Amino acid sequence: MYRIRFHGRGGQGMKTASRILGTAFFLEGYEVQDAPRYGAERRGAPIFAYVRADHAAINERGIIQHPDLVIVADDSLVPVAGAGVVTGIDAHTVLLINSDEPPELWKQRLNFAGQVFTLPVETEDRAELRFIGATCSGAAARLLGVITRASLSQAITEELQALGDAVVDKNLAKALTAYDLMEAHRGCVGTSSKVSATDYQNPAWVNLPFDDARIAAPAIHAAATSVQVNTGLWRTLRPVIDYELCNKCWWICSSFCPDGAIDVDDKGVPHIDYDHCKGCMVCVAQCPPHAIASVPEQEAQAQDAAGEVT
Amino acid sequence: MTDTAETIFKRLRDLPSTHLLGTGTPMCAGCGGLQALHQIYDIIGEKSVFINAAGCMTLLSVFPFTPFRGSWLYTAMASAPAGAQGVRDALDILLQQQRIAAEEDMEVVVLTGDGAAYGMGLSSTSGAMERDLDFLYICYDNEGYGNTGQQYSGATPHAALTSTSKGPRGFSGFKKDLFSIWAAHEPAYVATVIGTEPLDLARKIDKARNMTGPRMIIALAPCPTGWDYDPKQSVDIGKLAVRTGIWPLKEYENGKVVHTKIPKQRKPVEEYLQCQGRFRHLFEPQRNDELIDALQAKVDSYWRDITE
Repeated sequence: MYRIRFHGRGGQGMKTASRILGTAFFLEGYEVQDAPRYGAERRGAPIFAYVRADHAAINERGIIQHPDLVIVADDSLVPVAGAGVVTGIDAHTVLLINSDEPPELWKQRLNFAGQVFTLPVETEDRAELRFIGATCSGAAARLLGVITRASLSQAITEELQALGDAVVDKNLAKALTAYDLMEAHRGCVGTSSKVSATDYQNPAWVNLPFDDARIAAPAIHAAATSVQVNTGLWRTLRPVIDYELCNKCWWICSSFCPDGAIDVDDKGVPHIDYDHCKGCMVCVAQCPPHAIASVPEQEAQAQDAAGEVT
Repeated sequence: MTDTAETIFKRLRDLPSTHLLGTGTPMCAGCGGLQALHQIYDIIGEKSVFINAAGCMTLLSVFPFTPFRGSWLYTAMASAPAGAQGVRDALDILLQQQRIAAEEDMEVVVLTGDGAAYGMGLSSTSGAMERDLDFLYICYDNEGYGNTGQQYSGATPHAALTSTSKGPRGFSGFKKDLFSIWAAHEPAYVATVIGTEPLDLARKIDKARNMTGPRMIIALAPCPTGWDYDPKQSVDIGKLAVRTGIWPLKEYENGKVVHTKIPKQRKPVEEYLQCQGRFRHLFEPQRNDELIDALQAKVDSYWRDITE
């Protein structure tokens, strides 16, 4: 059985990518399961999808713990614990990452013995992000080695038909380019054996004893606990205020920030809360003196690490 | 304009500079509904009970996290106003029995999306207004069932593409006039707001807060996910909704409707449509002049008789 796990951010088309790959497998005569995992299915939030394919009936259910192939649409997710990109991978697993950094560097960073392939990040224009899904599914199809160009094309056409010919054509072009790019590595993803029900390992869940309703009922007895959730991890672009240009007209960025993540101090100076800024860039678009720059998050983090920015 | 003598919000500088609603919520980046809600919450304050019908914003409070500083209660999609009745009654009994002091009383606020407000919950809302329930209703209107993948709702505009209205003409129905449906019940107050006009919003919420009886607010909520545009355009699109006349800012009180912001020179509706993926089929692959003109004509006819 093939077990494939997709990781991306909401809006990058990972759910669609899993559907494309699932349909392509089906066209090749496989039994297929494909399902996104429902959680924070929001723009920018970590998204998961799973595909299983086998020539026999698939009785396995639920999330994939030990994938044969992991597809990562956004390399900034790799260090995010909540995204679980590296969960359950071993030397047998193939990792496909959309990243400008070389595979060797990822192998070293992750201390990973399996194979790593990268797909170059084509653009920083967010309008292009929606095609990452097609690119990933094309590359994955070739790495699997059991999906023909014809089946991949047909799957994309079927899945995206409703969006019109222009969208189908653009996705086809992206997917087939990625398919050809992985030609040298065709068939490098292997299958793994079925797990018998008797060997089934319980997921690492927490057993809660049966409690009195006053204790067990989910009531929250504290204010604004949501601040403990670090939604700043969703960000791919970081808004950075140039305080020399800021004219302290604070109501603009502070009122418009959908998350209320910009507060203004008593001197009228706005401060962005990077633990919670999701990187929507509304402040960048609205700032009257254009005092807020849009910096790719990875670049900003690298600068942070180098101590260049505070 | 709203009578400025009555409000503490005279200038943009009077708007709050720090915010009460907690960050770290699971709403999408660029959510126009959350933008309106955090502005509203700053004014209503923490002495409030939110009764939240199923929708995107039910995800605001997922155990053990909540952005609210006051109370919050979850109800099924159609029954938030019924939940509000129960909470209001309970508070009234506690007050009557002197088990809580008058200053411990709380504002009862219904929070629903357009799916509940325009459709499933309309009957229970009608009932609450009929009983003259003392509550505030906030509808964040993103013109579709956004939390489940943007299926069309009673609030979806004509010609918009949703996951259940595809094809070259989009949604065949028309957006319900919920403002008029609500106003026909003659409640204490009905108003439309949008997060991209924070001063107009603050004045209206402040006004509503100081009234009793049913106070009904509809906030248009630009939705990057459901309307298909880059999150950074959220405010531009909201402003265009007002400047094109698509989203009239108005209020109903004492049997009269007053427009609080009449766009001086209305921009063509096309400018609003063109920047959203859900209307892309009106421009690509061929421009659909007939449908664009029809949408413009509808807006023109709305404003024909509106004067200061």
